[in-house]
Amino acid sequence: MEMRNVIKGWRHFWKKWGGSVKKSILFARSNIRRSRGQTAAVAVLTMIAAVMMNLWLMLSIDYKQNFELCHDRLNDGHVNLIAGCEEADFCNYLEEILREDPEVMEYCITNAIFTGGVFPYGTGEVSQNMVILEKETALSRKTGKFEIMEESGEKSGIYLPMLYGTGDNYSVGDTIEIAFNNEKIQFTICGFFNSAMTGSHNCGMLSLLLTEDKYREFAEKSSAAKAVYTSVRIKDQDCGERFDASLKNAISKKYPNVPVLSNYYEMITTSRYISQLICAGIMSAMAFFVLMIGVVVISSNVANYIQENMQNLGVLKAIGYTGGQLVFSLMIQFSGISAVAAAAGVGLSYYFFFPVNRMMIAQTGIPYQVKFLPQLFAVTVLCISGIVAAAVYLSAAKIRRIEPITAIRGGIATHDFKKDPLPLSKTSLPLNLALAMKTTFLGMKRNAAVCVTMLVLSLVLVFSTLMFENAIISIQPFVDLISGESADSAINVDAGIEDEFFAAMSGDSRVEKVYLFHKGAEVLHVGGVSLFAAVSDSYSRMNNPDLVISGRLPKYSNEMVIAAKYAKENELKIGDEIVIKAENGEQAFLIVGYCQISDYLGKDCMFTREGYERIGSLQNVTYYLNLEADVDIDEFNAQVTERFGGDVYSTFNFMSLMEGTGSVYVTLITVLVTAIVFLSLIIIVLCMYLLIRMLLNSKKREYGILKALGFTTRQLVMQTALSFMPSVILSTAVGIFLSTLIVNPLVTLFLSGLGIVKCSFSIPTDLNLAAGAGLVLFAFGAACMMSLRVKKIVPRELLGGDV
Amino acid sequence: MKRWGVLIGTGVLLVTELIVVVLLGLGDRFRIQDTVTVNEVLRSVEADWRDMGNHRSVRGAAYVVTDLGGNVLFRTREGLSESVNEGIAHRDTMLDIYAADEPVGKLIIWNEGAEALRAEKQRAAAVFAIGILLQGCVCGGYMLYLQRKVIRPFRGMKEFAERVAGGNLDVPLKMDRQNIFGAFTESFDIMRSELKKARLAEAEAKAEKKELVAKLSHDIKTPVASIRAASEVGLALSETCRQKEIYQSIIAKADQINALISNLFSAALEELSRLSVTPLDMDSRELRNMLENADYLHRAEIPECPGCLVYADQLRLQQVFDNIFANSYKYADTGIKVSFLKDARLISISIEDEGGGVKDEELPLIKEKFKRGSSVGNVEGAGLGLYLADYFMKEMQGELSVENGRLGLIVTVKICLSGMSGGVRI
Amino acid sequence: MEEILLKTESLSKSFSNGGDLQHVLKNIDLELYKGDFTVIMGASGAGKSTLLYALSGMDTPSLGRITFGDRVISELSTDGLAVFRREHCGFVFQQIYLIESMSVMDNVMAAGLLVSKDKRALVEKAEELFRAVDISQEIQRKFPAQLSGGEAQRVGMVRALINSPEILFADEPTGALNSKTGLDVLNTLTKFNEEGQSIVMVTHDVRSARRGNRILYLKDGVILGDCRLGRYVHGDEKRHKRLAAFLEEMGW
Repeated sequence: MEMRNVIKGWRHFWKKWGGSVKKSILFARSNIRRSRGQTAAVAVLTMIAAVMMNLWLMLSIDYKQNFELCHDRLNDGHVNLIAGCEEADFCNYLEEILREDPEVMEYCITNAIFTGGVFPYGTGEVSQNMVILEKETALSRKTGKFEIMEESGEKSGIYLPMLYGTGDNYSVGDTIEIAFNNEKIQFTICGFFNSAMTGSHNCGMLSLLLTEDKYREFAEKSSAAKAVYTSVRIKDQDCGERFDASLKNAISKKYPNVPVLSNYYEMITTSRYISQLICAGIMSAMAFFVLMIGVVVISSNVANYIQENMQNLGVLKAIGYTGGQLVFSLMIQFSGISAVAAAAGVGLSYYFFFPVNRMMIAQTGIPYQVKFLPQLFAVTVLCISGIVAAAVYLSAAKIRRIEPITAIRGGIATHDFKKDPLPLSKTSLPLNLALAMKTTFLGMKRNAAVCVTMLVLSLVLVFSTLMFENAIISIQPFVDLISGESADSAINVDAGIEDEFFAAMSGDSRVEKVYLFHKGAEVLHVGGVSLFAAVSDSYSRMNNPDLVISGRLPKYSNEMVIAAKYAKENELKIGDEIVIKAENGEQAFLIVGYCQISDYLGKDCMFTREGYERIGSLQNVTYYLNLEADVDIDEFNAQVTERFGGDVYSTFNFMSLMEGTGSVYVTLITVLVTAIVFLSLIIIVLCMYLLIRMLLNSKKREYGILKALGFTTRQLVMQTALSFMPSVILSTAVGIFLSTLIVNPLVTLFLSGLGIVKCSFSIPTDLNLAAGAGLVLFAFGAACMMSLRVKKIVPRELLGGDV
Repeated sequence: MKRWGVLIGTGVLLVTELIVVVLLGLGDRFRIQDTVTVNEVLRSVEADWRDMGNHRSVRGAAYVVTDLGGNVLFRTREGLSESVNEGIAHRDTMLDIYAADEPVGKLIIWNEGAEALRAEKQRAAAVFAIGILLQGCVCGGYMLYLQRKVIRPFRGMKEFAERVAGGNLDVPLKMDRQNIFGAFTESFDIMRSELKKARLAEAEAKAEKKELVAKLSHDIKTPVASIRAASEVGLALSETCRQKEIYQSIIAKADQINALISNLFSAALEELSRLSVTPLDMDSRELRNMLENADYLHRAEIPECPGCLVYADQLRLQQVFDNIFANSYKYADTGIKVSFLKDARLISISIEDEGGGVKDEELPLIKEKFKRGSSVGNVEGAGLGLYLADYFMKEMQGELSVENGRLGLIVTVKICLSGMSGGVRI
Repeated sequence: MEEILLKTESLSKSFSNGGDLQHVLKNIDLELYKGDFTVIMGASGAGKSTLLYALSGMDTPSLGRITFGDRVISELSTDGLAVFRREHCGFVFQQIYLIESMSVMDNVMAAGLLVSKDKRALVEKAEELFRAVDISQEIQRKFPAQLSGGEAQRVGMVRALINSPEILFADEPTGALNSKTGLDVLNTLTKFNEEGQSIVMVTHDVRSARRGNRILYLKDGVILGDCRLGRYVHGDEKRHKRLAAFLEEMGW
């Protein structure tokens, strides 16, 4: 019974609509045939949007899933911890904790070596805490497995994470020199491995595998700490952070002197996917913008179609078509085109995905196999054609209101007799300009479409110049944003020789500025998780004035600054007091500001030295140094090391560090900026094409008359192009102005995953003005090019078939 | 469009007002004491305690520092609470100042909430006043708009309606698309024009009917012929004079009908000529291509042809050229010179070879049927070529002439220009 | 004797019509003289308008030459033709073709400013012409859609004459008008002609044709007859009869 009703209902529906679908398709086809160029332009716009959207979906959904798959395949721990102690009672204690915790599913404890190390990478170097494992031991782990991706016959040497095998960095058989605490050792590269949790310099610690002989040799020779490396899988992977905090708490309670370093699942998912995050953010924004422009252009196209075909539509209505059917045919036409174009765009996006994937892998270091994803395909196509259909439906609403008789008579006012906007006999403008302005005033819908396009494109442009200025020309601002403070050199010395060291450095003529800035001291927020403290006694001397994004830097011993991301998550406000605990006890601190340094992905805080010493003490201290312009940083570091010998634990060269880890981002951003600038230009051309086609269609008669009166093609081309200029110039100016206001928040949005809550890149005004002028000129050029079609209008057509 | 403008404008205004109200109503900026500043004041005072004379006040705070005896050591400005009692009355924040863990003085921080509240109230009042004013303007503007665009045109419409009611339909309807009723007034006009259209359609249908009748009359011819034939048979078979007379009368009438119909449709079909020449207008520049086609051995230099329209049958003309070139190849076998000459009526194409020509006395005969020159020797031929060419050219109202030149035979083809077959000038 | 204004030699014009070439004008040799009111007549389809548009540089001939003074305009580029038109020709169309989006004054100024940069002089000239054709200040501010047919055509004439063209081309200027307004337009044209304006007018209306002092009869793309009448005199029956006889001979 039910079924029969359904069938009956369907039949009724088919009777009502089925026939009209056929007819609608017929109309749609004839419309498409009549305006091939416009159809093609709309198709290209939607195709670009589809490319962007599918890339975005692939990057943000499947790429992340790929990490989860990799993590599961390797059965990697949700928390990985390296502790610099291998004594039996420590290991037993650790095992006991893990065994008894109901949260823990499985775990694996392996002997390892824990040390800091530096090796060249890209044009700079990587400096990381390293976990060194014996190869066979590592491969036999049940939890936290490693898999060999590439291998040679070499029996003695080192295995690197596969990240360092991408691009033209290292390859099998090369020799790599790694400096462990200023102790340089050379290894032959035997192969590359994949590790989910410790496979990149964005993981907090970096694994290296040594063959047995090398491992033994290294363990004997090196001063590095013997350690145990623990991988723990827990029931709820989202609790990694909490579990990590409690585990470290438990260890430091009993073994306060054992150095411990750990990472956890959530931290790695963000940090290993920074580029993917940035890229996906930009793609989504571009997809949105392109689609928006497409929708605006399509609606103005539809409005124009209605205007032009008023009489035909009237006739169709008069012979009995409903407004709904006519609207439906337009919807079929446009969403059909965009569905096809979107499908093509998805296909094209796979083509673009290969290079994107290569760039991504260079940052994530996790292999990703490109494969067709039908569900994302469906989402993209449905979403785009749906949006287009909705836009058409809304902008075609006028069809429903057309009265057939009025339409047949062409009686709908195409021009209302407003006051003459610019009487030629009064204006002092040159003739061509005056006529162009008349066209401008009489085409407000067209102006609106131009404005939306140019507003969006100016935003894109300002974003590009911002990135160009702050990341491509010099990576410094970008690094400052992400890692907070940087100088030329950073030297970590034993606390015992601190005064001597400071005096020596202050007296050294090569040193411009030296100040204490010690990062990475771990403290516990009572009632929260572990935080990583930065300590300085002279915040006023910092190189980066924007260390604090809100409030101020700590001045007194009971004040602290906390990472904005953490504060937001835990609803901590400036003026609140929180209790912080370290090895010497716990004290209350007043939050006086938010910072966004993201060395620890938003788990950062800052104290004055006096303040930190209320709860803990520094065993070693790091001083940042600004050197005079012509001083070689590496040489300087080497000399300092020589002078103070074993009391210098490590030295950093910020320049090469920045170049090493920053070059990946610079490449990425360069590619992105180039792509979006290029895309913007295409979009301008497409928009101009569509709008000018429409304009010329509706002005055919007028231009015919003007040509008969003696206007040359050149004059009419200029008139057409100029008529777009007021809206182009105005919206570009407004767009650039507004964009400069919102571009920093926008970048913040893209980078919010990194713990960035406020971004204050300097906006290159000159460059923006030049780029804006360039945009306007390009738009003008495109408009001129597109209006060359005026040539095809000949006054002869005024004869109207009469001879 | 304007209607939407007003609606959207009103909507935006309303939303803005709501937002302002919400912001003013729910804002809690002043309820929280700025602990950071307080901490800074306290810490800096403690740091400077030994030398309060050189203490620099903390920006953004108003406070007084007293020692335990109530003596004022420092004040940021006059008019603040200077004792604990005054502080309590003004709900100020009061803190102990410690030096070496001993309380040594009091810090009294001025409560600024009261002033701030007053300022806030004033601001709210101003905002509301502006809002009300704006709203008033919008409403007033809209009223004016309605007055101009709706009420006034309506009065005009009333007069019109009265006139129409009186039956006076000739008065034209003044259309004013500027007011909202533009479309409404227009429909009256449409009514009239639709009537007119209907009448036109009727006239057209009548004309079509006439055409149909004409066609039918043509079809009548066949049955009439049958009637006539039958009547002739009847006449031959009839025995009485009376019958013969009737049949003859039928035949006569049938002939008459036939003649009448024939008059309507002159069906005189001429015998089709064996070689039909149907000249048409063509571009003279096409002639050059045709000559080049004919000159398949490329013996001739063919100059550009002056541009004009000529009257010729392209197919036949090509035959003429083919024949002339073939003749030259056959009999002279030399280089060929082609020249064009255009005058007001004709375009002449001279084709000259260097083969020595024909005997002068043979010249007039060369174009005759089956006649060939004596110089042919034993070259194959029927002697029809030039005869046909001459015939074709005449049919095209042109001319073909043959003469002996300095070096050889000159064949001149004269083609009539389009529209030159007889014009009248007064 | 008379000054030649425009001269054609073997002027032909063909249109391709679905692969078929259609020859609308055939080898027309014609001289137009200064100060004449030349009327081109003929049945519809005879090629009158095509001839007019070819003569005026609105369209390029397929074959032949057109010379204006010592310039061969049939060899000009489309832009060259545009410049020629704006400087030397004025146009009055059957459908009038005013620009809907511009006021009456602007329609005239748009043409005028193409040639002259002196706005003030131009406005004065326009006003003088408006007065001559009886278009009031109030109408000058209106838009074309608000005008009656007669008014629109008179505006069209002002636009055509604003640049003091050597020749005024009129393509059935009365075709879309009723007889009274048509008569106004004809009178205005006659008046301008009497003041020395050379006019070439296409018409198939005998009443309009009477205004000309030279009648060309076009048939199937060929000038069949060329009749010289004297200057138009109102109510000259003898002249009317001559014209009638000529047209009869032409098969009108």
